[in-house]
Amino acid sequence: MASLIGYYSLNIGFSISFLIIFFSIKNLTKSKLDNKIIFSVFFQFFFVSLSFLGLVQSFISSDFSNETVFNHSHTTVPTFYKISGAWGNHEGSLLLWLLVLTLFIFLFLLRSNDQPKKYRILTLLFQQIIIVGFFVFLIKTSSPFNYIFPIPNEGLGLNPILQDPALAIHPPILYLGYVGSSIIFSSALAAVVTNYISSSWAKHIKKWILTSWIFLTLGILLGSIWAYYELGWGGFWFWDPVENVSLMPWLALITLLHCTLVLEKKQILTSWVVILSIATFTLSMCGTFLVRSGILNSVHTFANDPERGLYILIFLFILVFLSIFIFLFFYKSEKTTINSLFWLSKETSILINNWFMMYFLSVVLIGTTYPIFLEVLSSEKISVGPPFYNKLIIPFLVPFLLAMAIGPKLKWIKSDLENKLSLILFLIISLLLSTFIIRNLDINFLINTILVTSAFYLFLITLKDFFSKKFKNLSQNLAHFSFSLLILSILFNNFLSTEIITNLKINETYENDSLKINFEGIEQRDEQNFKAIIGKFVVEHNGGQTDIMQPELRIYNQPNIITSEADIKTTLYKDKFMTMNSVQNQEYFNIRYQVKPFMIWIWLSTFLISLSGLIGFFKKRYEN
Amino acid sequence: MRTKIFPISLIIIVSVIFVIFYKGLQNSNVYEPQIGNQKNIPVFIAKAFETEEIFKSEDIFEGDKFYLMNIWSSWCAPCRDEHKFLLNLSNQKNLKIIGLNYKDKKKNATNFLNELNNPYDFIFNDTDGTIAIEWGAYGVPESFLLHKNKIVKKIIGPIDQNSLLEIKELIQ
Amino acid sequence: MYGRKVKLRFFFIILVLITLILSVFLVLKSLEENVVYFKSPSDIKTLSETNKNKIRVGGMVKKNSISIKEKKLNFIITDFENEINVSYSGAVPNLFSEGKGVVAEGYLKDKSFFLATKILAKHDENYMPPEVKAALEEK
Repeated sequence: MASLIGYYSLNIGFSISFLIIFFSIKNLTKSKLDNKIIFSVFFQFFFVSLSFLGLVQSFISSDFSNETVFNHSHTTVPTFYKISGAWGNHEGSLLLWLLVLTLFIFLFLLRSNDQPKKYRILTLLFQQIIIVGFFVFLIKTSSPFNYIFPIPNEGLGLNPILQDPALAIHPPILYLGYVGSSIIFSSALAAVVTNYISSSWAKHIKKWILTSWIFLTLGILLGSIWAYYELGWGGFWFWDPVENVSLMPWLALITLLHCTLVLEKKQILTSWVVILSIATFTLSMCGTFLVRSGILNSVHTFANDPERGLYILIFLFILVFLSIFIFLFFYKSEKTTINSLFWLSKETSILINNWFMMYFLSVVLIGTTYPIFLEVLSSEKISVGPPFYNKLIIPFLVPFLLAMAIGPKLKWIKSDLENKLSLILFLIISLLLSTFIIRNLDINFLINTILVTSAFYLFLITLKDFFSKKFKNLSQNLAHFSFSLLILSILFNNFLSTEIITNLKINETYENDSLKINFEGIEQRDEQNFKAIIGKFVVEHNGGQTDIMQPELRIYNQPNIITSEADIKTTLYKDKFMTMNSVQNQEYFNIRYQVKPFMIWIWLSTFLISLSGLIGFFKKRYEN
Repeated sequence: MRTKIFPISLIIIVSVIFVIFYKGLQNSNVYEPQIGNQKNIPVFIAKAFETEEIFKSEDIFEGDKFYLMNIWSSWCAPCRDEHKFLLNLSNQKNLKIIGLNYKDKKKNATNFLNELNNPYDFIFNDTDGTIAIEWGAYGVPESFLLHKNKIVKKIIGPIDQNSLLEIKELIQ
Repeated sequence: MYGRKVKLRFFFIILVLITLILSVFLVLKSLEENVVYFKSPSDIKTLSETNKNKIRVGGMVKKNSISIKEKKLNFIITDFENEINVSYSGAVPNLFSEGKGVVAEGYLKDKSFFLATKILAKHDENYMPPEVKAALEEK
């Protein structure tokens, strides 16, 4: 029943699209925005939500006559995960995309009353093109409401890896970020057509950029935390294609944000802003293509289907060509050129950092797509590993961090460095500090000292500004401060992490110079849809301190999968992390024990970064 | 001049990327059900149901004989309905019935066969459902009549009296 | 001669070009160094020489081939034509078991012995890494 309602509302929502397009075109030449349009946009959103609720309800009531429910649910799955199962699969997640698309355009129309009418209508039209594309995609290739007859009495179950609180809310938040960029895309195209790339546009679109950037940051953070405790590798970023695919729009968004700041102030960099707006959404779509088509080998597995891949690919390139043509035909270049930039000014430093960010973006893009190119051209199968990214990104972090510290100190247009002395003083302090620390560690001295120095520099300067500037420019300062905190935590996490991997039988003990791990035994526990095997380990450190670690193995009944749950003891300084794996037909267990310093600071600083975005969102205007 | 080079090269680059992605999509190792009548049957490697040994499909489907490849599962209700027809067909001398146990648990499947008798000459396991996808199956049950490595007839859904007669006619 | 503006612009374009060329060069160079090739056991048999680069080997874990000692885990990867012995010490993913697909990353010692530094896990039990599937299908 719910499934049927969902199916029909989806189709009604689709037909409303044409109504909206018809109304909008009729309304183009009129002076006032027709209320009919806003109503129909609302109704489209309403029906898509209804359709989505229909799917969620089918999941809750375990209605296995629905193919999607049958494939991704089971009566024994806890209700919370039945609900999250609704978007934990290809079909449902696309419906969620569509829901966010319609929600955002509705909000856009409500929140853009002060903007020119023609621009609003055109944004709506471009957004409808995207929405229609997604409707066709959903209904034609991946309908979530396919009916199975005869009705099976049990579903195939939800992948246990997805039965996790962080991963349950990760997709919606990430999609808010991805899809939010569609508004930026549509409105940038509309602004180009109406020749409305101006500081008032920049002020207006900045909110949307911030919104989607905040959600994207939180989405990436959640995914990363999940990978940390669920995948059992003890890391938080693996340069996996799926992670890269979310990082690319993030980089594009943050670059775009900085450009709009310049545009808002100085009416320059207009072409940058337009290109980046287009690029952001294109990268989000490109990510969807890479992940959903199965073209890349990645840890996320959606049901692969070449028809779907082909559809997204064609749709993606229609959008790309459309935006290229609009850009070439309508875009009028700015009168003031790059020449008017003075070398020492805020805009120059922003521009320079944008170049760095574009460089990081290209590195990630090339690393992610290179295997596809090579396979097509030479049919060699390859993968690009973390060393590639580390090598190309880390050295360039140094000037990047320095510019992040000094840039905000500069004034617009033309400036002179004030307080040169204090800036140099801080540089010396951070240099001394990092030399002192790095010398006591057994790592490569030169490169790490330079890296840590620049991170400390940004850290100290922004810290000082909290006090001296009295919360002026709070969001900018907090964002830069948290970024330095993030980099510092990652660096020291890398330097100081230790790891022990060994195979133990029950009652055996592992011993080395600094600690002793004693495998005391295992016990069993039955849960609703899995059995847990809990290991008990006593870790004795040389200092006399002991920890009891209890990592878990979970054996799910449907589908029959084993997952391991790490036991993590978190303190402010370090995480102690242990996972246990069984090896088939063997009495040995594979044990991994890690001490990871400052893990919580990595999460915290990323959270602060998105918080600073939120502060920026509620602030009236960019100061200074 | 310069103003034209830029857009043209941009469009060329984008088109090249499109073509590469398109090609990449084609050899992207995804399961492509390309099956229609008169095409060679897809080969696969799978475990035997009882012994769990790994078999290649070529070893089972020999050239000249008729085979009925039947996709079934213990949880599928219509599979029960068609079972009597399969038992009927198992008496045919020139037809071998090969089962493909789709997304099933061994225990349930064994119970199912004990209860209703086993019409199959050989059963493959398809625990993850990938073989059924490669064969282009729409669901369970589904049956393929094979001869000389070609699909002679495809029966979507349970076998009934009509399709039973049709199969008997075809194998004569 | 040229005005100051033209000169500045010229200088700017040169600067951009140089950075562009430099970064392209850098990216290509590290791609070349850090790419990991994927081979099946049969590919390895046909190699003329074993080099020192990191590679990935994929196939099925052979039945009854897993053996474990305190430090080392040994098993055999097969593509039903050829086999290779793998020795590994490190964390084992949950989905690693006999008769299932596996991808091991590491170094070739010789044509029948592979020293793995990492075994790759996938999230899905239904899932077989595409390379493995392709390698098996080519048979």
